[in-house]
Amino acid sequence: MVAVCCAMVCLTGCNEPSSYPNRPITLICPWGAGGGTDAVSRQIAAHLETELGVPVGVVNATGGKGVTGHNRGFRARPDGYTLTMATLELNMLHWNGLTDLTYHDCIPLMSVNEDYAAVFVHSDAPWETIADLEAAIRANPKTLTASGTASGGAWHLALAGWLISAGLNADDVVWVSSTGAAPSLKELMSGGVDLVCCSLPEAATQMKNGDVRALGVMSPQPVPGFEDVPTFVDAGYDWTLGGWRGLAVPRGTPADVVKTLTNALDRVTSGETTILVGASQVDGEVVRRRQTFPQFMEEQGYDNTRRGPEEFQRLLAERDEQLGALLTSDVMRSVNRDRFNAATFPNALLAAIGAVLVLLVVQRGLRRSGSASESPIENASLRRRSVSRKGVIACTLFVLAIAVYPLAAETVGFVILSAALLGLMLWSLGNRIPTCAAVTLVVVPIAYQFFAGVLRVPLPRGWWGW
Amino acid sequence: MADPALEPTMTAREAIVTALTQVTDVTTLAVIAASAVYGIFVGAIPGLTATMAVALLVPLTFFLSDVQAIAAIVTTVTCSIFAGDIPATLVRIPGTPASAAYASDAYSLTQRGRHLEPLSVSLVFSVIGGLFGTVVLAAAAPQLARLAGEFTSYENFWLYALGLTCAAIVSHDSRLKGALALLVGMLLATVGLGTDYSVPRLTFGSDHLITGINFIPAMIGLFGISEVLRNVLGLSDRDDAGDMRPAVADGAAKGREPGFSVRRLARERWLSILRSSSIGSVIGMLPGAGADIAAWIAYAVSKRLSPNPKEYGSGSLEGIGDATGANNAALGSAWIPALVFGIPGDSVTAIAIGVLLMKNITPGPKIFDTTDNPEQAVLAFAIYAVFIVANLLLIPIGWFAIHGGSLLIRVPRRILLPVIVLFCLIGSYAMNASYFDVWVMLVMGVLGFVLEAFRVPLGPVVLGIILGGELEHRFIQSITKDASAGAFLGSPISVVLASLILLLWVAPSISAMWRKLRERDA
Repeated sequence: MVAVCCAMVCLTGCNEPSSYPNRPITLICPWGAGGGTDAVSRQIAAHLETELGVPVGVVNATGGKGVTGHNRGFRARPDGYTLTMATLELNMLHWNGLTDLTYHDCIPLMSVNEDYAAVFVHSDAPWETIADLEAAIRANPKTLTASGTASGGAWHLALAGWLISAGLNADDVVWVSSTGAAPSLKELMSGGVDLVCCSLPEAATQMKNGDVRALGVMSPQPVPGFEDVPTFVDAGYDWTLGGWRGLAVPRGTPADVVKTLTNALDRVTSGETTILVGASQVDGEVVRRRQTFPQFMEEQGYDNTRRGPEEFQRLLAERDEQLGALLTSDVMRSVNRDRFNAATFPNALLAAIGAVLVLLVVQRGLRRSGSASESPIENASLRRRSVSRKGVIACTLFVLAIAVYPLAAETVGFVILSAALLGLMLWSLGNRIPTCAAVTLVVVPIAYQFFAGVLRVPLPRGWWGW
Repeated sequence: MADPALEPTMTAREAIVTALTQVTDVTTLAVIAASAVYGIFVGAIPGLTATMAVALLVPLTFFLSDVQAIAAIVTTVTCSIFAGDIPATLVRIPGTPASAAYASDAYSLTQRGRHLEPLSVSLVFSVIGGLFGTVVLAAAAPQLARLAGEFTSYENFWLYALGLTCAAIVSHDSRLKGALALLVGMLLATVGLGTDYSVPRLTFGSDHLITGINFIPAMIGLFGISEVLRNVLGLSDRDDAGDMRPAVADGAAKGREPGFSVRRLARERWLSILRSSSIGSVIGMLPGAGADIAAWIAYAVSKRLSPNPKEYGSGSLEGIGDATGANNAALGSAWIPALVFGIPGDSVTAIAIGVLLMKNITPGPKIFDTTDNPEQAVLAFAIYAVFIVANLLLIPIGWFAIHGGSLLIRVPRRILLPVIVLFCLIGSYAMNASYFDVWVMLVMGVLGFVLEAFRVPLGPVVLGIILGGELEHRFIQSITKDASAGAFLGSPISVVLASLILLLWVAPSISAMWRKLRERDA
């Protein structure tokens, strides 16, 4: 047994926990791969890795309009090994009753960017300014369609907020829900919707290509890199809204860990760390290009405003109040009410399933009464199954083993638990104990090395850091 | 827009030459080879998708030149989509969702000891499809992009409806059971908080279910765990010798020579290869569609037009070839909207656009313009070249992967089954690092086991989960804008797609009627 343990220690490369950080860190991104939050998260992760000296892996915990990711991040073990790239939705979800998670459940470390909402139209659209657009909406309310995110999402709120500040109704523009900025811009370009509300960098490519035009941006000052886009404030509206992105850890994280992380993020966001971004050959000599985080943000057109812990905390409080007032107001109720009953589609499906089941039963009854001889079917692996008692026991054991894994993994840790379960499953199929031990000892460390080492999957660690 | 690529000016020719030199550079070739091996590994592990493989590559692309970065992405995707067929064939767990359409076909051949045939067919047709997709990308990108640009929510709605129709039609034994499977999948897709609603559905108050059912663990459960459970149940004392079924033990001997099958199929069905690759190319370039849907539609069309549709579902090499050709063809054309509009055709190209932007390259119509942006044009040509090199390299690497992977089924089942379970556990967890996904896999595994006991096909369940949500989303989008029938059939593309659906549903009855009439005449 000692030898087994030693072998595993060597193969999985664990060591005694000492100072933070001494094992891989997970950065949770509540939004999907390929989007803006994902790009910023992965960039931050690469820089943090050089700064902290441990791998930092990004996990996209998507879905539920951001509920999933924020919940995962802030309900994780408060040990500093789970960071979250929180977004503006943290200030919205609890007001909509989707979660009871608020910004009080986290310790803000540093906000790294605030991209303001902007309104885009097709390049052939008749409106030249925001005022033109407002006049068009006023003349024919509820005819124009807009998209940019899910209904009730941040950019939807931005548009509704502007409409209210202009003295219009929040639903005077029909919001067509979509899964993100890219599909919305696609709809705008193919004439499916009239407006898109999203951030400037999200539409930078299409603007450059002359496919879409920005009428205005909801920022207090013109956005660097997009100076020719007028602000809503300059156009005479008292309305700004930016979607901030910032890193936070769960409440209860030890103060020294918070300090280490804040210092590291401070160095990253102030441009003191660099990562290699490219190498090219010029006259036979390899030229390496290194880039800091602020350089990356600038090149990509992302806003570069960073806020330290106190300032970030103030921003969170301020936005929570602003959006709370808006989301709980009567004018927004109409926007947040669903246009269509959410239960219709599942109910229709249930009814259809019921109908098909009835038909199947009827069909079976008819066939049985019609002719006794059923059609001989080739693929009879189900038919010739002889169920032994041993088989049933093994089958139940397999199901239980899978069920135990999610329950116990976080406490016991991947290596010990999976070795135990694998050994048990092997044994239940009648393998001799030395065979079980040998297979387990070969498979588990290889699996661990491949997934945790090469693929950066944050496999759970429990007892003794395994 | 004049297409400068069509006028071979000096600069265009120079751009092509420069692109070729960059691609055939030793370092670039090394990057391509490494990415190919990496892609094969990741693709062959259930639960790790091509998207995840590419997302993991991003930090490494910082260290590479533009062309090398793109080469790494393209090669990884090409190889991982093919490699998804390996576990689908050997243990009936699709490595990537794109292989789900024909997993049952390929696996039933394995059960008869003929696993090398579907794998070889899959390799050769993947390469043919991939090359075809590249030709389409190179020859018609700007023109096709304009077609893709016409798609609004209405056209997308019809496209998803077509995909679902195909899944119901291909079901093996009873169309009613296929429909049942599809409906179950679509019902599972409604779980959670969707884009279109402000209230979560069918979550029964659980915070976890708000995310919805992730189709990767669902697929591993439905195909993988259910098969493991069935095997464990049947593994009685008689099998204590521990080998796979006798037919498999000396598999290659009993099966036909794989090279022969491939040659015969390629000779007899060159027209259908073209057809499937074209289907793949067209579907691949539509944002939101992609390789998995391409495989389903090509498989359904193949079954409809095949002289032996009975074989489909129980080991049809024709179906496997057509579907696998289509999913690889879709990969190339997914770059069309990405390069022309900067709008990704699938999640892989979404990440690729991010990498391009990081390298200071802005996708757009001008990317093909050799006079204005010589550097970008070089990159466009380099992408074509990389696709070709990656597909050609897939032949030797894929051959090794097939033969290496085939050793798997010689491992005694009583050792193999628990190890498969372990990999399913990690695979379902790996995607989102979520324990809830492990539960999803287990529940879906039991569901799959029960459904199979009643001979309900599992493929349509997976497609229902993938497409059900999209169909509903596009439908809601469309009726938010304008719910009239005129709007739904407002464009020629909508009409064509809707007629195709109608044709697929009624064609069997018409052909049956026609056959009856002919019999009466004779």
